[in-house]
Amino acid sequence: MKLSRLLQLPLALAPLLAPVAAEHTSNWAVLVSTSRFWFNYRHLANVLSLYRTVKRLGIPDSQIILMLPDDMACNPRNAFPGTVYSNADRAVDLYGDNIEVDYRGYEVTVENFIRLLTDRVGEEMPRSKRLLTDDRSNILVYMTGHGGNEFLKFQDAEEISAFDLADAFEQMWEKKRYHEILFMIDTCQANTMYSKFYSPNIIATGSSEIDQSSYSHHADNDVGVAVIDRYTYYNLDFLETQVREPNSKKSLGDLFDSYDESKIHSHPGVRWDLFPGKEQGGRERLVMDFFGNVQNVEVDSVGNDTEWKEDLLALGKKIAELRERAEAAEVAEKNTNVPNPSVGTHTSRKIRAAKVQVDDKWWGKKAVGAWALAGCSMVWFLGTYLESS
Amino acid sequence: MVSLLSSSVLLRRNPLILKLPPYLSFLCIVIGVAWLLVLPLDNYSRRTYISENALLPGQVHTYFAGSDQNVFRGYKREVDALEGSGNIEVNDKLEEFFKASGLKVARQSYEYKSAGETYAGENIYAILHAPRGDATEAIVLVGAWWNMEGKLNRSGVALILTLARYFKRWSLWSKDIIFLITADSKAGPQAWVDAYHDTHQSGMVDSLPLKSGALQGAVVIDYPFDHRFQDIHIVYDGINGQLPNLDLLNTVVSISGHMGIGTSLQQMWQHSDSYRDRLQTMLRGMLNQGLGHASGPHSSFIPYHVDAITLQPFGEGWQDEMAMGRVIESTFRSLNNLLEHLHQSFFFYLLMQADRFVSIGTYLPSAMLVAVNFTIMAIFLWVKSGSPNGESSNVSLTVEAGEKKTPLAIVKEGDAKALAPEATIAVRERELFLPLAVVAGSQFLGVLPLYIFNHTPEAMLHPIFTAFTSINGFFPLILSALLTHYFAPTAHHYTLIKTFSLLLLGLFLSSLATLNFSLAFLVGLLSAPLTYMQPLPNRPIVKGVLAVLLSALSPTTVLVAGCWWWELGIGRVLKEAAFGWDVWGMTTQVVVWCVWWPAWLVGMVLLFGNPREEKVKGAGNTIETVKT
Repeated sequence: MKLSRLLQLPLALAPLLAPVAAEHTSNWAVLVSTSRFWFNYRHLANVLSLYRTVKRLGIPDSQIILMLPDDMACNPRNAFPGTVYSNADRAVDLYGDNIEVDYRGYEVTVENFIRLLTDRVGEEMPRSKRLLTDDRSNILVYMTGHGGNEFLKFQDAEEISAFDLADAFEQMWEKKRYHEILFMIDTCQANTMYSKFYSPNIIATGSSEIDQSSYSHHADNDVGVAVIDRYTYYNLDFLETQVREPNSKKSLGDLFDSYDESKIHSHPGVRWDLFPGKEQGGRERLVMDFFGNVQNVEVDSVGNDTEWKEDLLALGKKIAELRERAEAAEVAEKNTNVPNPSVGTHTSRKIRAAKVQVDDKWWGKKAVGAWALAGCSMVWFLGTYLESS
Repeated sequence: MVSLLSSSVLLRRNPLILKLPPYLSFLCIVIGVAWLLVLPLDNYSRRTYISENALLPGQVHTYFAGSDQNVFRGYKREVDALEGSGNIEVNDKLEEFFKASGLKVARQSYEYKSAGETYAGENIYAILHAPRGDATEAIVLVGAWWNMEGKLNRSGVALILTLARYFKRWSLWSKDIIFLITADSKAGPQAWVDAYHDTHQSGMVDSLPLKSGALQGAVVIDYPFDHRFQDIHIVYDGINGQLPNLDLLNTVVSISGHMGIGTSLQQMWQHSDSYRDRLQTMLRGMLNQGLGHASGPHSSFIPYHVDAITLQPFGEGWQDEMAMGRVIESTFRSLNNLLEHLHQSFFFYLLMQADRFVSIGTYLPSAMLVAVNFTIMAIFLWVKSGSPNGESSNVSLTVEAGEKKTPLAIVKEGDAKALAPEATIAVRERELFLPLAVVAGSQFLGVLPLYIFNHTPEAMLHPIFTAFTSINGFFPLILSALLTHYFAPTAHHYTLIKTFSLLLLGLFLSSLATLNFSLAFLVGLLSAPLTYMQPLPNRPIVKGVLAVLLSALSPTTVLVAGCWWWELGIGRVLKEAAFGWDVWGMTTQVVVWCVWWPAWLVGMVLLFGNPREEKVKGAGNTIETVKT
């Protein structure tokens, strides 16, 4: 026990370091469409519209990772070759001149996506295909495609689960690859995709609840397909009409309040609980913190001040963890039968992951079976009895 | 273990079990028929829906209108002018038109011989290569110069020429489009499809000089009149009861619906969505499927797994030929969206109306139950034929009477042993040769009418059929007399003959039900009485009544009755059947002559049978019984 008391010291120092984490110095966007094929035109149009918006608000191409699994502009079915539109008025050609697709076609896979987020890439990977973020980067992650309960399909071939995504974000956090994340997803049962997140500093929003479909907004009858989804359409609508210039002071609260369920035809969800300031803090965040760029520069203090502090923080965390584990082991030794609550969040996470459904009707089924058997034999005996008499 | 073993042995002899099967098999037939009759109800049928996401029916604007109407009128005049011309002359002109539209054109001539007649002609087709697509897939727009009724497809051909010119202007095709104009509706499409897949008989059918990619779908226009129409009649039956993917039909129904054009099926020109109309549509569909003939030029495509339908405008309304053209345009835009072959929706279905269907899982039990009735009876008779004495009831009687004397036997199975009355476990030796020979012989006899009717010139078909029908009337009598005279079968033999005949029938029909449900159901229903046929030497009146009933349900009588009901010439029907056999590869005749007819023959022979008094040999001990 002496040990643990000794370890209190760095822990007490740790909170002193907290105020440093206040502002971000760079903005990144990861924009992913996960479906191919002509009839999924709208998913690519969704992503391209968002791509265009973040570029308009100041994020440079070098800080946007754009993943497009198919090439709608060059599809032979496209009545307007070389273009992609997200509105039937066809005012803006999203495919235009200035577009940099980082991952395309069959490069858009679950593996590549997770490698991108966690930066587990080979030497040969060009910088344009890497998410070169640090702990001062705000990241906008936007995904769209066909999904279901806790999964999102990639190219009809594989799917990413909510757990994969949550673990990827956790790894990013551990590797200090983000400051804050705004996660947006437009797919059927979208809100289930962020339900498993457990890493801090994430605000998540999705287009529809569990068992709810996400709908397309309208079709272009000359292109012959739906061109944009509702949720994305109304997000863009807000961004284009309310956030007109980079110094806009509109907050995320304004954005989320603009969602009109009667227009979106599904129930968009927002998750605040991972964010330090919870809902209050999250709502005050500016839209521009994620959709725009910043020019903040953080100058390293004299010497290796920050590094030292970081190390101390890490050390403190490590010690805390060790102490927790030691305590847990001790308690477990004392009473092996009683489940130990102090094992901490780690265990509870695992329990959350393993969803085994208990069959409540077990006895009922047994009874029905027994009755059926008894009935059969009764009929049998009756028949034999009647026959013999 | 012991009790289990002895109970399973006793089960075979349980009087209750032995009485049950005839009622059970009758119940199967009743439930099978009732099952079919409830299908049109809302609870058992479903509304159709588009399964394939890629199709997106009716989501595009159609632009086939305006000046194209003048083009259509021009082509129409040209087609009208060609009405009296010969096949080659017509094709010369059509080639000119297609070439003027900037398409590659090719021709193919064919010559089939069937029932002593020659069917010759020349098909012409043009290929529009997808401007930005690869040439790996194609869709076909077909029009026959002469339609199924022998009318000139005047508006249809003009529409295809106009659409060819119009489609050429679009750059959005992902698949090649083939415009095919066949000389007739029956042989021409078959010759072309065969040659496209290189399965044609060289010498009779020319190879195609020009080809494109794998065919993804085909739409036939059958529009033989000038005036405006009201609705579209969709014909979808393929050869041998095969059907196109339901999604194709749904696409056209949905597109026409968007354009305010109604759709009808199976010549139900009026459909009030009532139970009666639904049932009628379904039964007509089943009849067409059961006959297995080609119902339009599209039918020839279906055996090659190319989904195809024929569209026939009908009625007097305000829809003009441009509306028809727009339906085709929109359908082709939908087919153009396809990424892979139509496969999402059903290939086995019964339609009640344009937007209501039942799928195979729902309707199959009905034909299966009818087929299973034969199998149940066959198994029952097999078990019964193994009992030591003919009448099963005797067993219980003897056992009760001489309870103390009953010899006991030891039954062994593995380590388990049990005591049982010897009579119950004794299995009588079955004399299989004669029954097997009779059943096999009648099966082989079926080849005879099959060959005769498929290889007789048309003029001879009717006389030969008359002769065959009359012979068929008393042939079973002769066969039965011969059998009694030379082989003197016992009741035991007759039981085994019936066992094998029913077993085969049950097997054939249940396999057939998965391929051509309607045919299996119809044949099963018509041969249902065969389950209950047995020699009735001492009851001449019942025998006479049953003989009349069976004769009324013989394949020949049913054919005659069908021809009379639909006012068709028997010669014509047989000629069509022979044509189907020679050209389309239709197999309905095989089922009729090699499955149904032999079973019927054996049923008649059984009925006229006269079993000899028998000496029965048990396996364990010899028991002498005299039949009462």
